[in-house]
Amino acid sequence: MLYLFGMIGIPIIYNLAMSVQDVNLGNIASFARPFVGLDNFTDALADPVFRKVFRNSAVFVMVNVIGQVGIGTIAAACFAGGFPGAATMRGLLLAAWILPGLVVGTVWKWMFATQYGVVNFVLAAIDVIGTPVHWLSDPSASMTALNIAHIWFGMPFSMILVAAALTNIPNELYEAAALDGAGPLRRFRYITVPAIAPALFAIACLVTIASLRAFDVIFALTQGGPLNSTNVLPLLSYQASFQDFQFGRGAAIGSFAFVIVFGVALVYVRTLRSEQPA
Amino acid sequence: MTRLRHFAPSIVAGACVAIYLFPLYWMAISGFKTQAEIFADPPSFFPRAPTLDAFRHVVQNENMPRYLRNSIVIALPVALVTVALSATGAYAMRRLRTRLIDATLIAVLLLQVFPEALLATPVFIICKALGLLNSYVAVVLATSARAVAFGLVILRPMFHQVPLELEEASRVDGCTEWQTFSRIVLPLMRVPLMVLGAITFAQAYGQFVYPLTLLNRQELQPGTVGIYSFIGTEIADWHRIMAFAAIFVLPILLLFVLLQRQIVSGLTAGALK
Repeated sequence: MLYLFGMIGIPIIYNLAMSVQDVNLGNIASFARPFVGLDNFTDALADPVFRKVFRNSAVFVMVNVIGQVGIGTIAAACFAGGFPGAATMRGLLLAAWILPGLVVGTVWKWMFATQYGVVNFVLAAIDVIGTPVHWLSDPSASMTALNIAHIWFGMPFSMILVAAALTNIPNELYEAAALDGAGPLRRFRYITVPAIAPALFAIACLVTIASLRAFDVIFALTQGGPLNSTNVLPLLSYQASFQDFQFGRGAAIGSFAFVIVFGVALVYVRTLRSEQPA
Repeated sequence: MTRLRHFAPSIVAGACVAIYLFPLYWMAISGFKTQAEIFADPPSFFPRAPTLDAFRHVVQNENMPRYLRNSIVIALPVALVTVALSATGAYAMRRLRTRLIDATLIAVLLLQVFPEALLATPVFIICKALGLLNSYVAVVLATSARAVAFGLVILRPMFHQVPLELEEASRVDGCTEWQTFSRIVLPLMRVPLMVLGAITFAQAYGQFVYPLTLLNRQELQPGTVGIYSFIGTEIADWHRIMAFAAIFVLPILLLFVLLQRQIVSGLTAGALK
């Protein structure tokens, strides 16, 4: 019995240690400096850069959720066909997800290079673009580049989770629909999508959380630039703390982002609970 | 003809997978090119004269071996600590089903989602206060704290699959709690624990924020920070950067290929249950 308490104590103590870190975040300003109250928050909120970054974060998260879950669902449905090698190929895609985010950002930075990058070359070769696109130095193109790289990075994970949800749909449903004359597209629309809708919602929450966490890819690809066009909240918080050495402001931006992450996480936990009451 | 129809989906899917993984291919072959070929227009999709010069350069002049060693020195303890704490934690959570445990589980789920880049500020301040800057202890602790939360989420449903009768039987036979755990439950959990170890290793290996903020002595930094500073200094040397990246990701790609099946099933069991 004593041992059990020891075993359960370890994770709890660990959690305590971690929550201390979280708690500290809000009051770092009073830790080593004079107490400034909410000044850090009001300063940060009043900053036009903060608002721009906040908007960027929202756009980035939305595009990533739609892109990753959408493409992931389609890919998972295609691989569910059960042709030879399907499972292996699906697994191979996960290779993109296992890579360090920093490496992903670096490789895409090279591929998106304006002059010698392979992306511009391919797009020009198939006549999509006339002149090379300044993917990473044009503020109007940089967010697109970042989204492509990040969806590439995260999609396989969504796909694997959707694939798991798909295996729970009984085959009889599809057979019955096929007998009634529904083609593959209609079967997908009227059976697959409704059946996995709750799972899709949970996955969308996970992708939202993961996108709110995105840092490494952005750091390697654009550093938030040009002109903060690809900056997001975690990166802004990092820059305030470790590049401008305004730890108080970094923490304030951080706390703000924490609240958002916390909200999404609560929704996610709730979804899981309602899915299988245990 | 029927044969062709049978294999047609596989061929199409194979082509799609190949296109999807093109960035990996591009990384690898860029490393085999010379500087002249890197800046060739049009770019070559197969290196015309494959050379190991770029790889040799990063190993000899860019401290590649040291970066690799540092990354492994960080990732191995993180994986071990995470597996040990998650296994004991998940077992305890299964045995004691009380309100407290439910609350803990939710707390763990929530803790798992916090971005490292946001935690970096408080962690940095704490480590500075404790004098832990520039030590691997700080990086390992900070990284595994998050990994343990992930581990509990993944392992808990696995531990639930062990039949309670088995544990009761072992207790009737006179095993202590610890013996039941280490002799009965752990061997059954061998595969999930291995998967967790592999995933944690890969993630700790690719960890960037904590080493970047907590280690400022260059000789301590792992490969992720190495690549990053490499981009900063030699922006034109893409063949060398890609060679560096290719060597750096080789260990985790190998690990992934070896355990691919188990990783896929382990992830799906944990994240949606």
